Amino acid sequence: MLEVRDVRKTYGEAADGYVALDGISVDIRPGEFFCLLGPSGCGKSTLLNIIAGFEKVSSGAVSFDGEVVNRAGRDRMMFFQDAGSALLPWLTVEENIRFALRVRRVPKERWGEIVTNHLRMVDLDAHREKLPSQLSGGMRQRLQIARALAVEPRVLLMDEPFAALDAMTRRRMHAQLLEIWQRTGQTIVFVTHDIAEAIALADRIAIMSVGPRSTFLRVIDVDVPRPREMSGAFYAETFGEIEQLLTPEIRRSEARLG
Amino acid sequence: MTDLSLRQAGAEAPRTGPSLARMPRLWRNLRGSLLAPASIAMALVVWQIASSTVFDPFLVPPPTAVAKAAWPMIVSGEILHDVTISMTRVLVGFIAGSALAIVVGVLIGRIQILHDLFDPIIELLRYLSPTAMIPIAVIWFGIGEMSKYFLIFWGTFFIVLVNTVVGVWRTPAARQRAAECLGASRLEIFLLIVIPSATPFIVTGMRVAMASSFMSIIPAEILAADSGIGYLLQKSSMLLQTDKIFVALITISTLGFLTDRVFRIAVKRMLSRFMLADAGAH
Repeated sequence: MLEVRDVRKTYGEAADGYVALDGISVDIRPGEFFCLLGPSGCGKSTLLNIIAGFEKVSSGAVSFDGEVVNRAGRDRMMFFQDAGSALLPWLTVEENIRFALRVRRVPKERWGEIVTNHLRMVDLDAHREKLPSQLSGGMRQRLQIARALAVEPRVLLMDEPFAALDAMTRRRMHAQLLEIWQRTGQTIVFVTHDIAEAIALADRIAIMSVGPRSTFLRVIDVDVPRPREMSGAFYAETFGEIEQLLTPEIRRSEARLG
Repeated sequence: MTDLSLRQAGAEAPRTGPSLARMPRLWRNLRGSLLAPASIAMALVVWQIASSTVFDPFLVPPPTAVAKAAWPMIVSGEILHDVTISMTRVLVGFIAGSALAIVVGVLIGRIQILHDLFDPIIELLRYLSPTAMIPIAVIWFGIGEMSKYFLIFWGTFFIVLVNTVVGVWRTPAARQRAAECLGASRLEIFLLIVIPSATPFIVTGMRVAMASSFMSIIPAEILAADSGIGYLLQKSSMLLQTDKIFVALITISTLGFLTDRVFRIAVKRMLSRFMLADAGAH
């Protein structure tokens, strides 16, 4: 269980500082696919970085299975939008995974099997010897998935992982991610600003307000079996509901800028 | 420098200008290897004509006269002797300067307090060119080898240092954080992530420093030496041997060019994977 308890995050001095997150609480269940949805500047990446342990809370706490999170931990694997910088571009596909196993201190005799299994899982087995720069954007993201899963984290934290991909590739990635998630049973916390993406993937969607003082506007249960039909009544209804919540938020943030 | 670092850090830039695809295949293949010599040959012809018509051939000796002056110097080994001496000075100073700059640079780039302490000093010192340091170097080290090593070291150190610090800083945060999640220790992140990520910047700095070393060695040898190409230049000037001056000038430019080529080939052979480090990044 991933517990977020009354998390506040302030940048700068307390008095005139910027309050990014203002009292966020949620329990994310083991094996759940949890989406953080909101427009730019709503602090969703900040919250994800706090859960990862890259950033500290100003007050409140995040704990994972009862242990307080205050630094990056091996059980929570962060997954980045920009695979080009997250991967090691001087290592081949295969070597990138071996790097993960090496720093994770996995016994060497298991490497061969783990590498093969995980590359097969994301259809990169035929590209072992290639460098990341020789792969397409979608293939690079699949390599990042394979590398993340090779160390068997319990939670996968994904920060707009597919936002830079074209629509076709993104849909394929969704299908592949869901298939892997259903097979491995990891908890996923997924940040996105794309309403359709959130509806397609999540068990629950937390809708965040625009900063300063971001909070959860609502947490929506999406209790529909996958793969989800992206044209039915349920889809239109949920989309409408979320849009209604977010439109005033976007207006508010634009008004502040103007 | 900007141009160099762009070419180094990224992949090959797409070619603009006339489309190569439309040219006949034979011409396309031979183009590079024909045009470069043609460019030099053309310059020689213009020079030859200009020297015998516009200019006084004593002040601007034509290529034929320069070649005539060069030949005995080549045969007797005089040129080779000076080249060896100058090259040794450049290499010793360059290697020592680069090595120390890389070590200091990764530390400054990584440890904030070191950066805050040393950055102001570096920002002041790096504007002192090796030439500016010649007078004090002669007093400190005399006109022996040590003063030349010092001057080349001085010129190399700051260029490589600044590039190394930037390279360390530019290591993508995502790369370090991903490694941290995977379980890498701080030392592993430093050795296996930061240093390889900084490599393209370090190499670019070294190339710039190498070119600057070839520029610095000449004033150093003119003002404070009794051997080397710079000294040959100085001696020929005193004796009004303009043809020998041109021999020395051509030797310097050829030497600089060849060394850069060797450096590039060596980098390509040994470090090509790391030079791609930014490919694919946004």
